[in-house]
Amino acid sequence: MKMHRRAFTLVALVAAAAAALVSASTSTASRNAGATGSITVWVDAVRLPVAKLYVKTHPKVHVNIVTFDGDGNGATTMQTKIQLWNRTGHGWPDVIFSEQANDPVWMGQKPFDYALDLKTVFPKNLLKGWPAPSIAQCTVNGHLVCLQDNLAQEVLYVNQKLMKQFGYSVPTTWQQWAAIGDKVAKDHPGYIIGNIGDSYGAWLYLWADQCPISQVVAPNTVRINAGDVHCTRMASLLDPLIKSGVVPPESVFTADFATKWGGDNDKILMMPGPVWYAKDIFGGTLHVPAGELTAAMPLRWNSEPVVTGQVGGGPWIVSKHSKDIPAAIDFVKYATTSLAVKSKVNALSPGYPSYGPAASVWLTSLNKDPYFAAPEGPAFKAAANLIWKGWSMVTYPDQPVWSNTVVTQLVAGKTLSSLLPAFGDGLAQTAQAAGYKVVRK
Amino acid sequence: MQIRMVGLGVRLAILVTFAVFFIGPVVWLILAPTKSDRALIENSPFSFGDFHHISLAWKHLDAFSSHIFRRWIGNTLFYAFSATGITLVAGVPAGYGLAIGNFPGRKVILSLTLVVMIVPAAALVLPIFLELNSMHLIGSSLSVILPFSFFPFGVYLAYLYYASALPPSLLDAARVDGCGELQTFLRVALPLAKPILALVFFFSFVADWNNFFLPYVVLADSNQYPITVGLWDLLSATPSFNPAVGGGGQSVKIFKPELALATLIAVVPVAIVFLFSQRALVRGLVGGAVKE
Amino acid sequence: MTSSVLTSEHARATRKRGPRALRGLPFVLPYLPLLIVFGIAPTIYALDLAFTNVGGGWVGFHNFVRTYHDFRFVSAFKHVLVYTAVWLAALMVFVVGLALLLHGRANKVSSTFRFLFYMPGALAGSAAVLVWLFMLDPSVSPGSFLLHHVLGADIFAQSIAPGNLPYIFAMIAFWTGAGGWIVVMYGALNTIPHDLEEAARIDGAGPIAIALRLKLPLIRKWIAYMVILSFATGTQLFVEPQIVQTASFGLVPDTWSANQLAYQMAFRYADFNGAAAIAVDLLLIGLVGAVLIVTRSGLFRTDD
Repeated sequence: MKMHRRAFTLVALVAAAAAALVSASTSTASRNAGATGSITVWVDAVRLPVAKLYVKTHPKVHVNIVTFDGDGNGATTMQTKIQLWNRTGHGWPDVIFSEQANDPVWMGQKPFDYALDLKTVFPKNLLKGWPAPSIAQCTVNGHLVCLQDNLAQEVLYVNQKLMKQFGYSVPTTWQQWAAIGDKVAKDHPGYIIGNIGDSYGAWLYLWADQCPISQVVAPNTVRINAGDVHCTRMASLLDPLIKSGVVPPESVFTADFATKWGGDNDKILMMPGPVWYAKDIFGGTLHVPAGELTAAMPLRWNSEPVVTGQVGGGPWIVSKHSKDIPAAIDFVKYATTSLAVKSKVNALSPGYPSYGPAASVWLTSLNKDPYFAAPEGPAFKAAANLIWKGWSMVTYPDQPVWSNTVVTQLVAGKTLSSLLPAFGDGLAQTAQAAGYKVVRK
Repeated sequence: MQIRMVGLGVRLAILVTFAVFFIGPVVWLILAPTKSDRALIENSPFSFGDFHHISLAWKHLDAFSSHIFRRWIGNTLFYAFSATGITLVAGVPAGYGLAIGNFPGRKVILSLTLVVMIVPAAALVLPIFLELNSMHLIGSSLSVILPFSFFPFGVYLAYLYYASALPPSLLDAARVDGCGELQTFLRVALPLAKPILALVFFFSFVADWNNFFLPYVVLADSNQYPITVGLWDLLSATPSFNPAVGGGGQSVKIFKPELALATLIAVVPVAIVFLFSQRALVRGLVGGAVKE
Repeated sequence: MTSSVLTSEHARATRKRGPRALRGLPFVLPYLPLLIVFGIAPTIYALDLAFTNVGGGWVGFHNFVRTYHDFRFVSAFKHVLVYTAVWLAALMVFVVGLALLLHGRANKVSSTFRFLFYMPGALAGSAAVLVWLFMLDPSVSPGSFLLHHVLGADIFAQSIAPGNLPYIFAMIAFWTGAGGWIVVMYGALNTIPHDLEEAARIDGAGPIAIALRLKLPLIRKWIAYMVILSFATGTQLFVEPQIVQTASFGLVPDTWSANQLAYQMAFRYADFNGAAAIAVDLLLIGLVGAVLIVTRSGLFRTDD
């Protein structure tokens, strides 16, 4: 068995070397000759229209489209598949879209070792269009292992109609936001200014306040310090709000949330959330009436500079085993930068494009949408460059730890401040199980 | 007489209570496609919406990924019937042989069958995948059908049935008449096997229909998925179940009513097989065929 | 004259019968390749994985010790043992009880109930997510009264609070699995010859006495089979916590049960050796249960 494997590896290496030589000499040729080639792409249901449009507009390229579950929410679909492909030595798709922002991190390292370094093969002039935090997020050990398709920066959603009705002005700091929360609890019980029950609650509140609980400080070393002042001060700010019910520990995706605060009840006064909440969550999932919502700048801590968090932002990853890297790159280029895909807010481009020039056009389309009381574009655009770079993507997902150490206990009545140590411990154990060295200070 | 009535009443009450427990959620599921996504949450769980919503839900479901839903159903029918066919041909006679036989290794085979049923699937997936790969079956339907057709549970059911329901005197009667082993099987054991064939057919079909893990691992192309893996894909495309598509998932138009409809359609073949096997299951007693 | 006719007939019959020692073996032969390829060989490979490392070298019990020290190991096994206890109790009492209740006269009524009990089992695992997300959410569930009074839950997150989980999963597993076993038990009860029942009734035994003292012992083998398999499937719980984990966006950890931990080891960490070690742990637990039950109930005996 081992001899066979060794021989096979040798053959594969020689073949790969030969292929590299061949592709290096033909890549310039194929770029100039117009897109041809043959690739397999794996996309989720939301990215399928883009893949189909590419097929339509590039008839000379043979594209095998496979839809899968997107590997979202801490799933292990891609780990499973890549491992099995690695073991058999074939089957890898050329391009994968993942819904998990941290997938490229393990895809770019052993034992999976799937991701291609895009720094050398992706057109450099286009790479400049991605915001610096986005490039940083996709950089693992110096390699650019992915390109974000869309950004998911956090802003503060505000129900303009209700704010005017109650006579509140839009807050710019967390402190002002909390003060409004106290007033709402007394004067308008039943209304909410945010929520903390989603699996990404830590990203909304802790990432946005620079809490260092997911900070890669050296290769394979992560800092998880839940006792840092940035974490504890945010927890102290949130605790009274959670207790009084204006920031409930419930998820926006539950039926309960929609019944209590959405629809006809219309009790969402404000809500920190990512750009993709916009019409899809407020209009689609929560049925908040049109003409009420808009987006404001992310909150800052007192007079400190503004930073914000991010909730997702799916990456495209290209396979280093790909036999047709130019065609794969061309596909990713089309999907992320082409105005045919990214110019409007529609099924092709529901999310905020990471590629700057495309984002500007997309925002113009967004600002025209009558669902919103006032254009959300300015806040979205400003927030794109404010994502705090001190939160790194790691090979393990942290949402499950948040959900089952923090949210379950918040629901049982405990305070966030009292749960931070356990949260830090849970993250540390998960990190160690994933092979990281953990720094707790 | 009164005690009898009370007894009957108590018996009925218990049965009805459990029926409500089992069927309540299914009734909810049946009514779900008649409502809009919003009405599902806001209206009473057992309210009826209207037929228009059902056709709307079907339209969205069918449009998902170019009619892939129909393909998934077709795939599952193909896998389940093929594998169950093999299971019946290989497994039921095996149960018979284990029950009436006395050959060396009989107990070993029985024990191994039982042990293998107890080994966790997570441990077997990789070896089976590697085996299928070495047979160059990855990517073909056989990568699903062949593992499915190994159904030790069915072999055990057949073994239990023949061991306890087929008196040796019946077999001896046939042998005295001059039948060889094969003839004995065909003439005596097989006609009496209707209940066990129905039982094994039904459990095998359902197990194959509901199997998620193996196809999820060995099938790479979504066009080959059976309905279980397909439903998982659908679930992942539903914003309520997958925040990661919360933004953008709205255009895919798969919400809770569509998901409910998909689930119901996926249940129909199993319900049909159940009803079909039920009749054969109830018939079939051995009594009366043995000469005293 | 007669003796020679008798002996020749006897000889003919014996010849046709063939060697007695191998009786039954030909019928088992088509099943053997399947057993070996998809049962025995993978099991041996898995056992090998449990005692070796990534390179294939022998490491003795290292994988077992290593996985034991994983921070999720102990709680995962604790969870499944509590769950299995609840699950087995529910199965033995309710499945056998319901099958006995159904086995009487009024066949049409009985078959309707059997159909109703069975239907939830037809819902594939991933389909049950949708149903149970709603059933467990007090704000939309038809059973919200029960959720509120039995579990003290007003919101979904409270229904699935950590302390409730073994009971929730047992309920879901029972909901999907009981129907199938009721059908099997009912079929088993049908193998009891009618005359035995009639004789008992003539002797004056009431329905309860007939059920408990006549029918129950006669389906002993089937009950043993059910208990063995359910003990193993109980300790190997995977689908229900995985479903609720998805439906709750992670409120329930994806390593709640030991089998889930094995799966995560294999696929998230590429640690097939660790996964195999946990699988062997589960297999041993299942085997101990099986051996106890087989020897106690005489499951392998064919002489009665």
